[in-house]
Amino acid sequence: MAFVEVRNVSKSFPSAKGTRDVLSGIQFSVEEGEFVSIVGGMGAGKSTFMNILSGLLKSDSGTVSIGGEAVTGIHPRASVVFQNYSLLPWFSALENVRLAVGAAYPTWERKQQIDQATRFLETVGLGGALHKRPSQLSGGMRQRVAIARAFATEPEILLMDEPFSALDALTRATLQQELIDLCSKAGRAVTTIMITNNLDEALLLSDRIVPMTRPPRATLGTPIEVRLPRPRTASLLMHDPSAVRIRAEVVERLAEFVHTKKEKAAVVPIKSARVAEERAS
Amino acid sequence: MNDRLARIALPIVGILAVVALWAFMSTRVPDLPSPMKTWQESKLFIMEPLVKRGEMDQGIGLLAYQSLIRVAKGFLLGALIATPLGFLLGLSKAFNRMFDPVIQVLRPISPLAWLPLGLVVFQKSEPAALFTIALCSMWPTVINTMAGVKAIPQEYWNVAKVLRLTGFQTFTKVLLPATLPHMFTGYRLSLGIAWLVIVASEMLTGTPGIGGFLWQEYNSSIYAHILLCILTIGIVGFLLDRMMGFVEVRLRSI
Repeated sequence: MAFVEVRNVSKSFPSAKGTRDVLSGIQFSVEEGEFVSIVGGMGAGKSTFMNILSGLLKSDSGTVSIGGEAVTGIHPRASVVFQNYSLLPWFSALENVRLAVGAAYPTWERKQQIDQATRFLETVGLGGALHKRPSQLSGGMRQRVAIARAFATEPEILLMDEPFSALDALTRATLQQELIDLCSKAGRAVTTIMITNNLDEALLLSDRIVPMTRPPRATLGTPIEVRLPRPRTASLLMHDPSAVRIRAEVVERLAEFVHTKKEKAAVVPIKSARVAEERAS
Repeated sequence: MNDRLARIALPIVGILAVVALWAFMSTRVPDLPSPMKTWQESKLFIMEPLVKRGEMDQGIGLLAYQSLIRVAKGFLLGALIATPLGFLLGLSKAFNRMFDPVIQVLRPISPLAWLPLGLVVFQKSEPAALFTIALCSMWPTVINTMAGVKAIPQEYWNVAKVLRLTGFQTFTKVLLPATLPHMFTGYRLSLGIAWLVIVASEMLTGTPGIGGFLWQEYNSSIYAHILLCILTIGIVGFLLDRMMGFVEVRLRSI
């Protein structure tokens, strides 16, 4: 049995026109230490699925288990990174992280909690902004605090819901690299599930990519292995012929999957992938 | 330069206009003391604000102080009931449904209606006055605290859940800081009402304070002192509001 097992999960919400089936018959599994991205377009399906995985939301049917145990609430060894940072504005960066550390390790002394929080904030380059409030930090810095908060509790599983989508392209690239560093520094591989709408981000970070259709009745497609060597960089993905080929393959399989579901949105990525392929050859 | 001049000069012009109207009215209404007469008869109370000559015959500062203490007690009593009540109403839908109609009915009741009930229940004027102040002033705190709790974004609740905070931690680290600015808006409005109620309750119970003094001077036909009291009540109320407003702005900027 895989570390994360999702069997037949469906979810609908009441709406003005009766019920809206958001997720339908989701099958999904992640091995321990794996980094899996769920890629899909806009729409509520991905976040709903993430909320079910993290235990914030109950599914209508089906089961979710992490580490062999059924998910009934928030997993004690899970960390969640939200799209909108979700820092508490009345606390400094340090206090935001320490709150998480204190909740995960209530027996630690205050000093030890502060040291742990400081260490992880320094890792993401915020050693100089420990006592700043979120309102005094840029978007990239806020998400760094959120990532430090997620890693400071030394989670077994990391759930990220579009963690970089609110950031500009440059900040985004830096933070992706920092995430890779943090994952490799963690000592053991942290099982990570990331939701994203950015294919390059998924290629850069994941072992497998799982496509998701849009609601209503969103479901997951067959996973696509990303057979690229690590460490990966953004420029490798752009210029390395095998990387470009894999990218095109992923794009085509995504498009295929989405097209069978009668979606048109995949047209743009196909074009851009072909252009990249031509350039490389 | 012009702007700064206008900011100082225009309020002065406004005040002078009202004083002029007052002076004019006093020439028409036989018993209305003129501003000059009011000043002459009140000079002693203003120049020696903290002197006590008799039970009611005290400096205006001392009278205002006694009223302020009474207001503070009544306001605190009200806030002590109103704040937890506001949290419960904001957190529990069932509780809200149960008590919202009751609150909507109790809210518009005048202090003049509560005071006799207080006198019947407590038999003494002081607790009856506190009871009235507390009961009349608590509603803005109840309603604003409730609205503040309801306005907490879902993402903060999610953070509390995801970090697996205990109930107590969720209260002190998320719920309370998120609601604090709303609570203080409620406190500011409540304090304003408490100050309004003090005069009515002191007049009816005859206790020493700015309202009691006002009523006694009316009965002794010293009308200038009525105006002195009115002005004092207005200025003290204004200062109280400014003070709470200052705290409120500081809290909102977080």
